[in-house]
Formats: sequence, structure tokens, C-alpha cells
Amino acid sequence: MIDWQYSESIESPDIVSIKKKYTNYIGGKFVEPKSKKYINTISPSTEELLSKVPLSNEKDINSAVKAAKEGLEVWSKLTPNQRSRYLFKIARLIQERSREFAVLESLDGGKPIKESRDFDLPQVAANFFYFAGWADKLDLSWATKSLKPYGVVGQIIPWNFPLLMLAWKIAPALATGNTVVLKPAETTPLTALLFAEICEQAGLPPGVVNIVTGDGSTGSLIVNHKDINKIAFTGSTQVGKLIQKSLAGRDVGLTLELGGKAANIVYEDAAIDQAVEGVVNGIFFNQGHVCCAGSRLLLQESIHDTFVKKLEKRMQSLRVGNPLDKNTDIGAINSKEQLDKITGLVNEGVEDGGELFQTECELPGNGFWFRPTLFTNVQPSYSIAREEIFGPVLTTLTFRTPEEAVEIANNTEYGLSAGVWTEKGSKILWTADRLDAGVVWANTFNKFDPSSPFGGYKESGFGREGGRHGLLSYLKASS
Amino acid sequence: MGNIKTSDQSIQWSNVLEMVYESRIDSVGLNERVNSLATRSIKKDSKLEALNMIVSMCDLTTLEGEDTEGKISQMVAKAIKPNPLDLSVSSVAAVCVYPSLVAIAKEKVQNSNVKVAAVSSYFPSGQVPMESKLLDTKYAIESGADEIDIVINRKAFLEGDYRRVYDEIVALKEVCQNVHLKTILEVGDLKTYENIRKASLISLAAGSDFIKTSTGKLSIGSSRQACYVMLKSVLDFESMTGVKAGIKVAGGIRDAKDAIRYLVMINEEMGSDWLNPELFRFGASSLLDDVLKQIKKLKTGAYQAGYYFPRG
Amino acid sequence: MIDIKKTYKNYVDGKYVRSESGKTYTKELKNELYELPLTSRKDVRDTVTSSKSGFNKWNGMTPYTRMQILYRLSEMIEGNKESYIELLVSHGMSKQKANKDIELAIENIIWFAGLADKWEQLAGNLNPVSEEYFNISHQNPIGVVFTLSKSTVSLNDLLSSLLPPLTIGCSVISYSEESSVLALKFAEDINNSDFPPGSLNILTGKFENILDDVSKHVEINLVALHKEIENDGLKRIQENASSSVKRIVSLPSISGLSSILPFLETKTVWHPKGT
Repeated sequence: MIDWQYSESIESPDIVSIKKKYTNYIGGKFVEPKSKKYINTISPSTEELLSKVPLSNEKDINSAVKAAKEGLEVWSKLTPNQRSRYLFKIARLIQERSREFAVLESLDGGKPIKESRDFDLPQVAANFFYFAGWADKLDLSWATKSLKPYGVVGQIIPWNFPLLMLAWKIAPALATGNTVVLKPAETTPLTALLFAEICEQAGLPPGVVNIVTGDGSTGSLIVNHKDINKIAFTGSTQVGKLIQKSLAGRDVGLTLELGGKAANIVYEDAAIDQAVEGVVNGIFFNQGHVCCAGSRLLLQESIHDTFVKKLEKRMQSLRVGNPLDKNTDIGAINSKEQLDKITGLVNEGVEDGGELFQTECELPGNGFWFRPTLFTNVQPSYSIAREEIFGPVLTTLTFRTPEEAVEIANNTEYGLSAGVWTEKGSKILWTADRLDAGVVWANTFNKFDPSSPFGGYKESGFGREGGRHGLLSYLKASS
Repeated sequence: MGNIKTSDQSIQWSNVLEMVYESRIDSVGLNERVNSLATRSIKKDSKLEALNMIVSMCDLTTLEGEDTEGKISQMVAKAIKPNPLDLSVSSVAAVCVYPSLVAIAKEKVQNSNVKVAAVSSYFPSGQVPMESKLLDTKYAIESGADEIDIVINRKAFLEGDYRRVYDEIVALKEVCQNVHLKTILEVGDLKTYENIRKASLISLAAGSDFIKTSTGKLSIGSSRQACYVMLKSVLDFESMTGVKAGIKVAGGIRDAKDAIRYLVMINEEMGSDWLNPELFRFGASSLLDDVLKQIKKLKTGAYQAGYYFPRG
Repeated sequence: MIDIKKTYKNYVDGKYVRSESGKTYTKELKNELYELPLTSRKDVRDTVTSSKSGFNKWNGMTPYTRMQILYRLSEMIEGNKESYIELLVSHGMSKQKANKDIELAIENIIWFAGLADKWEQLAGNLNPVSEEYFNISHQNPIGVVFTLSKSTVSLNDLLSSLLPPLTIGCSVISYSEESSVLALKFAEDINNSDFPPGSLNILTGKFENILDDVSKHVEINLVALHKEIENDGLKRIQENASSSVKRIVSLPSISGLSSILPFLETKTVWHPKGT
């Protein structure tokens, strides 16, 4: 009998040199914050300090918006072909420095290097390539000549896919002729600031892209700035609602990409082994820090026990550990706050009466960690079945008929994504038609492509990112 | 794993038939899972252990019209001592030959642990009456074979006559008695993953000790995808009956790197207790040499050439 | 003293090949003499075999990969700008015009590169049929396309003739008479751009020699003519084509979305919706 363990296979962090301190990127230059204040950013897997970045204040935001306005003057006078070429150049540069970015992303945010290297970075480059190709053919995208860019766009992005969310925001904004002021999340500012170097390398005209860091107050300043023409926000539903309220009465464009509590529906005639893989991927990918995570498993009652058995076995082989270890499947939880939130909700779930299964695995000493968790014996009224947990926690509910499955799936204020597992084509189409979700994944999950529009119904937000439809988020109809 | 008696046989068969018709596999999802398993990387110490394990799991094979007693003698010597300059490398699990070479192979393996496996049932095509298949199997066993590798009746399978496929294996198993039986599915003929699953379940229900991917005679041999389908079938069969069967992958595993990926898959999907020659084998000819090269490289730090290792 | 330039060869299946007939024709530019392949009927047949397999490879790639290959082509040409200008000037173009021509050509490639992963979103659509069916119309590239280049010597014109079918996944046999030297020089940049062998083949010669073979060859799915054919040539081509219902397009549009339309086949798929 041989006991076989994987040895560590650690990616070296040496490829990226992290500065002791970073500054904002405004008007094509790296500038110290007028606030003179900085915030620390740590590695969530070790809790060690990585660097410090500006805590920008009103003066800093004013500079950024002013620079964006000046940048707009230049950017709008270029030919579409020229704008396209800048974006192609940026895409190429990202490809060249991919490994560096991937390592930095894992260090700063905690996600496994396997993900940042094989998913995040290729998608980042692909997004810039895709939108580069729209810049010179906007007239083909929608059959109307009366769509114009908003002008100066404020963009606020989350910490779960820092660089990818930046790409989802900046690429279409620039392709459609806007200029941007982007604020990365407080806990994950570093890849955005490294991206600023790419803008410099590409020779992007000053002011077209401006990166300012800070906390919630900084975001507020951007939202409320009088010269911002549009806000694009990805983050929690709670903050999204506040932003929408702030913009009431003002003529400012808005798109929101908020939370989710997606249902992953597994019918009895699904390809079971692949459905297990899809369910696991749906909730444990990126530690569950995904707005479109398949966090509610809706199982047809007839296959409940077989499926749960296979699922638990599969979960047991997930490896939790050092994000820079190439064999790690699940990295660190992004912050202490998030860890506390997850723990709290899981405890509630147990108190409510849910049956808890957690995999047996050793967790590193330092850092923020949570084991893959499965709840069965759950009622739709429990908080773990209704609230977004944003962690590696899967909640199981059962149904008996397709109608019931759809009803339970839609019984939520969210509507971002959903999964449907069955080998019967007509049932997929029937179910997809009835789900109130902006993205339906049939016999797969968490698939993304720059050409595929992404966004939600109901309180998961409005507007789409990606694809031909994604352009509309950055083009304003003029009468 | 004994013979399945008549009354158990019919209960067994109807359950298995149900499982067979319930076979649903999404090939895109399956490919993604198999590819993600291939991204596991193992470091030096584990690699050496894995390589030694692979040697112990090899069935060193020669199945050519031109095989002679001399050829077999050479091969058996290599099977017993793959690297004479490094005796820490174990012998392989078995040698695999055509029935007419079994006697000489048996003579040459003598007191070593190397088993003699014979292909039969009119390997590789199986396109003859049942009598012929029973005949060459009996002959191989009388000559001293410890293990028998048969082929399923693909003609019957693709015509939808699953019962015939099953009955033939049952009959051959009866001839084998306690001789270890491997049933070759020939995944290159079956093409779809669902067919591979169906054939696996039928073979297991009929009493096979091992299911094997390929004869090695088609251009399409084993694949990690086929192995994945088979391991899922083996696990589901165990879940249903309590019976543990083994898997042999053969045909197209060219190098050590690929072989290690198979072991990673077995380890992660089934567990480490399936990682032994009683439950997993590689059908190998050129694979062994690459494994020996890699072992030497890990021990000495230098890339190796083929001529350091004896011909087999 | 006339400088005899290297023998330019056809570019087929990722390799440079002479005509199997061994024949060439000459072109004199300034003080240089060029020897160019006089493509024969057998050459055409061999090229089509290559283009068929090239189509499978090229069309089998993801749109994203095709986009990157096309973009790389623009990078290659950008890098060789000076030598292209020199060649155009030796054909009698002014340096200024030559520069503009190359600039436009590069802009054009970039435009089409960025279309490779988008045209399906513009050409295909869901059809709102009145029964409980999912119904979608989507497009496939037609296959092997033969293009006869314009008689002008212009990189932009040459590219305009082959980019539309190439971008959407067709394999292209690009045939040039007057712009042969330019076309074969261009082949060198194709060779450096990761195009799969057979996806883009470049031939030169006299079209009259191969007119019948091309218009009758069943495995050429479409013939696009970017210049006028003399002596009722077009009529002959169209008559020949009718025997296999081959598509013939005369002087097609070369820019914008409409440029790709002739090279598509539309497939409509129905599927019921229900439990």
C-alpha cells in the first residue's frame, strides 16, 4: 500500500518585483497622492505586507477627472483605426508580461496561480484583443448612427478578479471612444498599477486611462464628481444600490454588475459525473468569490443520495493551500472581513438545521482559509439558501418536477446566472427560457469569453459586459 | 473474483443492463476534467517513486508475427532485470505474448515474480466462431499462462447484441477458472465515451478481473479520456457489487511523462490503494525504456541515451 | 546590364514551389528582370488539394486564433514596409503613393483581423418562428475560394481581394497576373505569420491558361473575379461553373461587412423546447 502525496510545486515570485510603495497613474504620469496618505496591501495567504498604495482624496480625484477630460480631447480626435491599434498593442504587451501579472495577482489577491495563469491572464489579453477589433467598426455593431461615447467614465471594480475586471471595464470603454478613471478594490490594487506601466509602454496618450487607488470613500468621490459622465460598477448589491441612489436626479449613465445566488439545476437525466465536476467548478472556482457562482445546488430528489455521495468524494480531492503552489485548487479567502462573513453565515446554517459536510484537509497556519463546505437538508428559508455567501460553501435544495426547479431557481432577488444539467436538449431550452438569469450555462459552468455578453436580471444589476451587446454599456443614444 | 453463478448472473445482468442504458456522458465536460488533471505537477521525490511504480506495473509486450523463442528469451531477461546496472529497479509485472510463445516465456521467467500473460480469443480482431476463441485460450492456459488478455466481440457490440458480448466473456472466464482475466475493450473501435462505458460495465459484470483499453494494433490506442471513463465504470461497479476490478492501459503511452499523468488520475479519482500492480497495469514496449531513462536522469542529473539500457 | 533577380516561386502548402511545367514568364521592372511561375493546369489541381486540407485546418481554428494570426500578418508587413515601398516604386508608383498604399493595406488587415471573432455576431441570428422551437441561423465559410487579383499593382488591392474570405475561415487561392511580383513577395510574410499550410496559397501566371480548369474544378467552391475578363471569358466561366453549381462572383465589394457575404453559407437549425 503506497501513500502518495503531491509535493509542493511552487511558482517563484521572483519574476515580479514589487515596489515598497506605489503611486497613482494620472495624466500619463505616476503621481504621489495629494492626500499624502497611503493604505497597506497584504498577501491574504501569509498576512505579510506587500506594499502600500495611495488613499486618494478629493483633490486626487479632481486631478484624475481633469486628466480624463483632457485625454478625451485627444482620444476623440484620433481615427478609429488608431484607437484600435493602441488596444492591440496593449493586448500584446499583456501577453508578453503574463507570467509576471499572474504571480502578482495570486500574491495580492490569494487566488491559485493555476487560475491566474491559465484563466485570468489569457482572458485579460483576449478582452483587449476582442475590443481592439470593435474600435474601428462601431458602425457595424448597432445599426444606428446616433450612438456616441459618454465621455469620461468612472469605473469601480472588485477584488475577486482584479485584472480581469479591469480589462472588462477599460477595453470596451476605450474601444467606444471614452476615457476612464478606474479605482481598483482596496485589497487588490497592485495589478491595476502594474497595468498602468503597460499603458505607458504602449504610448497611450496621457489621460486616456487614469488609475487611482483608495477605499470606499474614494469610490464615493468618483461617483459624485460632477464631471463624470458615466459610472460602471461591479461589486456588492448593497453598494450598487447606494451608487444608484447617489446618481438619482443626475444625467449620468450607469451600469451595475452585482451579486448573485445562482441555482445549479441537476435533472435526473444529467450526465452525472460531468455534472458533479460542473457543480464543483461552479462553487469552488476562485474560492467561491464569484458573483455568478453556482451556490445553490438544486437536485432532482430521485438522484439526491447518489449525487451527494459522488460530490462529497470529489470535494475531498480539492487541495487548499498556498496560492503560488501549482497544485493548489482553492486559495486564500481574500480578507479577514470576508472570512468572518463566511464563518458567520455557515454557523447560521448549522443553527437553522442544515447538515454540514466539510472536507478534511490541513490548513496553513497564517492567512485566511476556509474548507470546501457542503450543506444538505436545507430549507429554502434558511439564510444560507438566500444570502450571497461569497465563499466555498454550497447549499443543496431538492425538487421533483421541472416546474418546481424553475420556481425555486427564480425565488430570489438575484438573477445573474444559472446552470442546467440534463442530456435532453428540449429540456435545456425549455428551462433556459424560464430562468430569470442573464447567463444560463447548460451542461457547463463558469464559461467566459470576451464575445459573450455577461450581466444580470433583477438585483444582480443591469447592463451587459462583453460581446456586441457589451458595447451598449459605453455608448449613449443621442436624440 | 470467482465465477458468477446462474441465479446471481441473471440478477446481476439485469442490474447491469439498466446501468448500461443509463450511460450518459458529456464529452466536452469529460475532456476538461481530464485536461485539468494533467496540470498536476509532482516534484522530484514523488516522481522517482512514481517511475519505480510504473516499472512494477508494466506488462512488457511483444505481439508480432516475427516473434521467436530467441526474441522472447531476450525480453524475459529484460523483464526480470530492466536495468542490470541498477538493481534497485524492480522487475516488471508481466510479459505479454502470443499463445505459441507462452511455453518458452514460462520457462525463462523461472523463479522470478514476473507473470506470463497471453493474448487469446483470436486477438486482435476476434472475428471467428466461439470455438476458436475457446481453443486458443485453452492452449495458452495449458502452456502455463498466468494471465489471459481477451478481446470483446466488437461485431456483436456494435450490432447492439450486448448479451452475446457478455456471454462470450462468461464462457471464456469459465475456461480461465482462477487464471487472471483481462478483457480488452478496444476503445479505438468503440469511438464514443458512452460505448466505452457500456463495454466496461458488460465486461465487469461478466467476471473480468481487469478491463483493458486496447490491443495496441490500431493507430488509436489508449487515451486518458478512455481511462477516465473506465475508472468511473470500475468505481460504479464496485459501488453496486462490492467487487474491485483493475484497469490496464495499453497502446500509445509513449513516455514516462504520459504514464505519470495516468497515475495522477488514478490517485486522485480512485485513491492511492488502487496504485498497485494488482489493480493497474501498463501495456508497454517503448514506455519501459523511457521510464528507465528518466529514473537514471533523476538519480544522476544528466539526460540519458537509449544505448545504456539492454535491448529487450 | 540587366540584373537578373531571384526566381520567385509560387507559395503552396506552406512551401515555395516552381510550376510543375517548369515554365516561367518574365517581367521587367526598371533595370531588373523577374522570372515568375507560369502556373499550369496541374499546378491548379495540386493547389486545390492543398487548399482543401488547409481549409480544414484554418476553419478548425478558433476565431480568436485566426484573429491573432491576421494581426501578426499586419505586424510582419509593418516590419517590412520599406521593402514593399521599394518594390512598388520600381513598378512606377511615386514614393508618396506607395507609402499610402502600404498604410492602407495595414489598416485594412487590422480591420479584418478584428472582424474574425465578431462577424458571426453580425451575420447570424435567432429566428422568431411561431412554434415552440429554438431556431437559429448561423453561417459557415463556404470552403475553398479562388480569387483573381485586380490588375493594379497595389498591396491594398491585393489584400482586399483575399481578406474577406480568409477572415471568415475560407481557404484562399490568390491568383495574380500583373501584380505577380508583389504577390509572391507578400507570400514571404504569410509564411512568417503562422498560417496553417494550405490556408492561403499564392499563384501567378496567365489566367487564360487555367480559366477552364478553375471554373470546372468541383472542389473550388467559389471563384471571385476582381478584374474584367476579355473575350467573353466571364460567360465561359459562368457556363463552366453551372455544371457543378459553383458560385461565381464578379467584382465583389471589398470593404465593410458586405464584403464577406458572398463567402458564407447559412445553416438554420431547429430544436424543440419542452420537458
